[in-house]
Amino acid sequence: MEEKVLEILKNVFELDTVDTTCSQQTCEKWDSMGQLNLVVELESEFDISLEPEEIGEMTSFQDIIRILNDKGIKNE
Amino acid sequence: MSLFVFRNNTVERFFPKDYTFSGYDDISVIPADVNGYVWFYQAPVGHSRETSIEEIQGYQQKFDFVLSRTDANKTVIALTMEEIYALPLTDDDHAVRRAIWQYNAALFEAEKNHANLKVIDYSQFTRNYPATDLLDWKFYFISQMGINPKLTKDFQAWWQRKVDSIALKRKKCIVLDLDNTLWGGVLGEDGISGIKIGGDYPGKAFAFFQKSLLQLSQAGVILTVCSKNNETDVLEAWEKNPFMVLKKEHFAAYRINWTDKATNIRELAEELNIGLDSFVFIDDNPTERELIRQMLPMVSVPEFPTQPYELPVFFKKLVEDYFKVYSITEEDKKKTEQYKANAARVQAQHSFSDFSAFLESLDIQITIEAANEFNIPRIAQMTQKTNQFNLTTKRYTDADVKDFLSNGWKIWCVSVADRFGDNGITGCIMINGDEIDTFLLSCRILGKGIEKAFIKKVMALLKEDGIVSLKAAYQPTAKNAQVADFYDRCGFTCVTENADGSKNYVLDLNAADLEIEKYYHINLK
Repeated sequence: MEEKVLEILKNVFELDTVDTTCSQQTCEKWDSMGQLNLVVELESEFDISLEPEEIGEMTSFQDIIRILNDKGIKNE
Repeated sequence: MSLFVFRNNTVERFFPKDYTFSGYDDISVIPADVNGYVWFYQAPVGHSRETSIEEIQGYQQKFDFVLSRTDANKTVIALTMEEIYALPLTDDDHAVRRAIWQYNAALFEAEKNHANLKVIDYSQFTRNYPATDLLDWKFYFISQMGINPKLTKDFQAWWQRKVDSIALKRKKCIVLDLDNTLWGGVLGEDGISGIKIGGDYPGKAFAFFQKSLLQLSQAGVILTVCSKNNETDVLEAWEKNPFMVLKKEHFAAYRINWTDKATNIRELAEELNIGLDSFVFIDDNPTERELIRQMLPMVSVPEFPTQPYELPVFFKKLVEDYFKVYSITEEDKKKTEQYKANAARVQAQHSFSDFSAFLESLDIQITIEAANEFNIPRIAQMTQKTNQFNLTTKRYTDADVKDFLSNGWKIWCVSVADRFGDNGITGCIMINGDEIDTFLLSCRILGKGIEKAFIKKVMALLKEDGIVSLKAAYQPTAKNAQVADFYDRCGFTCVTENADGSKNYVLDLNAADLEIEKYYHINLK
């Protein structure tokens, strides 16, 4: 699952390389429009619906993993 | 094509990456360094009816303002407005709907007076989805999105088709099977009166399909037949079955034999002088479809419905996917006749041993006309669609051509008629200063030396205007190899030949041979 999230981050923010330290601070294209694109990709990849509160606090790779874990999506 | 989008909601992700966007409901900036504009204002979702109506009327005024301040040579694509969240509390309250109708009517009205404005009916997209799919309130509240972001791919595909339609890109020719495609049953087994066409179902559904195709052919799409039957049976069925809508005269060419369909389609392409990538193949037999997909991958092969009652839906999708264009010209409507006349010319040519005697017998009338508001759409269309006899293959819009004219370019188009028929406007030349920017001819009129007569006449006109040294260029593409040495053949001197195969030429007009054979009757308008 972490692999998939990294892949999504890479595609959405058009990155050459990506790792688990990726966050809004380190990533130039992770603005509000990027956030929206990220949410849509995560929702369709994991077949979930992210709540506005979760979207609001989702500002790094680690946040995404925590939120997905809370929704019962774990690393295989 | 980078376009600038005026919008009142978050729409960035729905458009191509090179588009740029206004602020929300912001018309204070109208950038000039873009290729064109998109106007995409969505209906407000406020609670107060009065406020919503005022907003819609305000949008209309803003649109008028923007339209009046954009360069008339740049395309403006405006989307109509659709209700996003209709909530009148009583059933007799149509006030907001009426305001939206008026807004849309105003767009259509503006289109009449502005050649650069193209209005796209947004309901073509929205009507494919229930209201609950079209808007996701979560994304409306957190990002002000008036379309569900999950529909991004669908919207992008739809938008691309609309942009193509405005650029007048479409397929040119349909190849049709007969048995169980244009009628029910097998002609060889069921006979002329046994096949299902007209009358009750399923004949009714096939008649509907034939009528639909007839309409498409009247809009300039070429119909042909490729079918495994006995030709005499089919000719008899076309002539004698009273319910047949599409008959022999509606097809520009046909191959009714037992040869494989890939070979037949290749022949049709040669006979009509249409590239294979402009063909759509329609056949009920999945094996035939697969054969064509494998043998001729450039031909488009849609799936065919298994039940005749699905034909209307199939036809609509066929048009949407391959044949929808924003508008059609008079030339388009005469296509089938012209392609048929061409076939007749090929026949006539065989009976003459001397080629110039043949040309003389044709009574060729060449009319050269300077670009004007009536032929500019056709000129732009030809730059978009002509691939083979096209020296530089530069694609231009109506707006581009007008722009060139206002910058002093000399632009002529040519129409050709002979005793077999009138081909209409089928070529153009654009001169920027002392250089030929674009020279192209439709393949329909090739093989008669028209290209040389046309260019020589233009050279003579330029010489009269005082131009001495005329420049020209050849830019190779996948399709225009036949004109690689055209300028050499016209007496130009090649001055540079580049690694990509492109060539630059120059010609001294004072020394050039400008003599035109007498059997070309040239009229200058």
